[in-house]
Amino acid sequence: MSGGILRLSHVEIRVPDLELATAYYAEVVGLVETAREPGRVFLKGWDEHQHHSVILTDAPTYGLEHMGFKVEDADDLAHYETRLETAGVSVERFARGALAPGHGDAIRFRAPTGHLVELVHGMEQVGNMLPLNNPPPEPLGLVGMHPPRIDHVFLTAEDVDDATRFFSELLDFRLAEQILGDDGHQLASFLERTHTPHDVAFITGPQGGLHHFAFWLDDWNQVRRAADICSYHGIDIDAGPTRHGATRGYGLYFFDPAGNRNEVYTGGYWVDPDADPITWTESEMGRAIFYYEGVVNQRFLTVHS
Amino acid sequence: MGILRLSHVDIKVPDLDLAAAYYTEVIGMLEVERTDDQVFLKCWDEQDHHSLALRYDPRVGLDRMSFKVEHEDDLAELEKAVETYGYAVERISDGEAVGQGESIRFDTPSGQEMELVHEVTRVGGLLPKVNPHPVPEAMMKGIAPPRMDHLLVTAEEVGEATKFYMDVLGFRLTEQLLDGDGHQIGTWMERSHSPHDLAVVSGVNGGLHHFAYWLDDWDHVRKAADILAYNAIQIDVGPTRHGITRGETIYFFDPLGTRNEVFTGGYRPDPDFPTITWTEDNIGKAIFYYEGELNDRFMKVHT
Repeated sequence: MSGGILRLSHVEIRVPDLELATAYYAEVVGLVETAREPGRVFLKGWDEHQHHSVILTDAPTYGLEHMGFKVEDADDLAHYETRLETAGVSVERFARGALAPGHGDAIRFRAPTGHLVELVHGMEQVGNMLPLNNPPPEPLGLVGMHPPRIDHVFLTAEDVDDATRFFSELLDFRLAEQILGDDGHQLASFLERTHTPHDVAFITGPQGGLHHFAFWLDDWNQVRRAADICSYHGIDIDAGPTRHGATRGYGLYFFDPAGNRNEVYTGGYWVDPDADPITWTESEMGRAIFYYEGVVNQRFLTVHS
Repeated sequence: MGILRLSHVDIKVPDLDLAAAYYTEVIGMLEVERTDDQVFLKCWDEQDHHSLALRYDPRVGLDRMSFKVEHEDDLAELEKAVETYGYAVERISDGEAVGQGESIRFDTPSGQEMELVHEVTRVGGLLPKVNPHPVPEAMMKGIAPPRMDHLLVTAEEVGEATKFYMDVLGFRLTEQLLDGDGHQIGTWMERSHSPHDLAVVSGVNGGLHHFAYWLDDWDHVRKAADILAYNAIQIDVGPTRHGITRGETIYFFDPLGTRNEVFTGGYRPDPDFPTITWTEDNIGKAIFYYEGELNDRFMKVHT
């Protein structure tokens, strides 16, 4: 095995109205459309070099179709394929370009949480929107919140302990933080590969659910500006701008027109691979999720897609 | 696998008490340990024993730069790679250096001594591991950066030094500055998926241009400028922005003349990130994006 999983690569999101969703992700969030085919639209954050980080898929319902993680080396795919199959997980292999325009070599499997997971290597590099010689720090004329990149995905699962175990033992994620119930079971876990507080996180809920996926913003000022943009467009804000106790990040939650929760996120900290995880107790769950409010709203705990 | 990040910078200071006072009161680092001629300091969010070591010496300068490796066997692997390249490697055994376990030390083509270390004494951050607040409110003295970020060294042959750091130690080149003949006069290299952990610019061999602390955002950079001005610290440049790394910054000098930086921003390069090239005619914007030109002091003063 070589480098293993590097980071979250992309999410594929189900939307019942593809045109409306595309308009929202392009104009309000400010992603860049890179390709379109019948039933699917491919988008990326402006600073991302790879072909896409968000796929919108026409579907009668909403939710997460699958999530993809980028692996560092081509050998990593075979390594994880063997390891997963040895553990009794069936794995499907896809040749370069088979799954989507610009897509790399990939494997897919179903996690015990019900989510379809993909590992991908060698997605087409389409470049960020800047030249590679003497580039300015940001292109002018970007619209909406224009996050530079995708950051993490937050999922629901019935058995969070089991989700944590699967992602740690089979996929080498590291536990950065956890919320423990009074009975000692994990209510939530935050797992990382990028030395940030989380690339994927789980919270107790239905199998296969999407709580939210998050875009990176550069600082708290950008988070405030994102809230202005939500309000201007009449986008339903779920919570924030506020701070998380868990991850220390600053966040704003809101919903896309299909009802999938989005977040814009910044802050956090650097995590060494040998860092001790941080634990939150059930009585402090309010502060763990919303540090300023100290309580979690019911919608945050019950609404997912 | 391999080098993870910058671990600590060891510098020489002609006045240990003055330097320690500056790094604790103005920068806001914490003193972790003191010996007859050394003071060890860390930033509030760092778990490891120290990220800066001050040692009394009549002259200022860099003792060594120390990088943390991810696995114990990385030391043996990199030791072999350095020896194959042609440099002698010294093994420092567990307990020989304050606050850390076994390490290897060697010279580099840019003339600085480099150390690689795996086990560093874990003293913990200022926050508990159960239900922590995001900041340790009570101690926030001075600028209070959460952690160390990178360093920039000088070298006579930037190209040769860069080749060593990349081929032998596995650094990846994110950005480079080329002169009119296409030779590298500055290189920015990373291991931590940030724009740089180590950078090299043209100058004397063995020199330290600056080392930098991470701050959380531009607002924190502005606040740092207030603190520097209040304490009458000489600001070299900034607050401003870099074209290279896209970071936001202030350069200033500690009371003994070592250049410090506070840094934020940047981007997240994957290991397959295509290198960004700056040409010499754009050197002003490359280094100081808002001013568009370099000051002489920035080019000439180092320790």
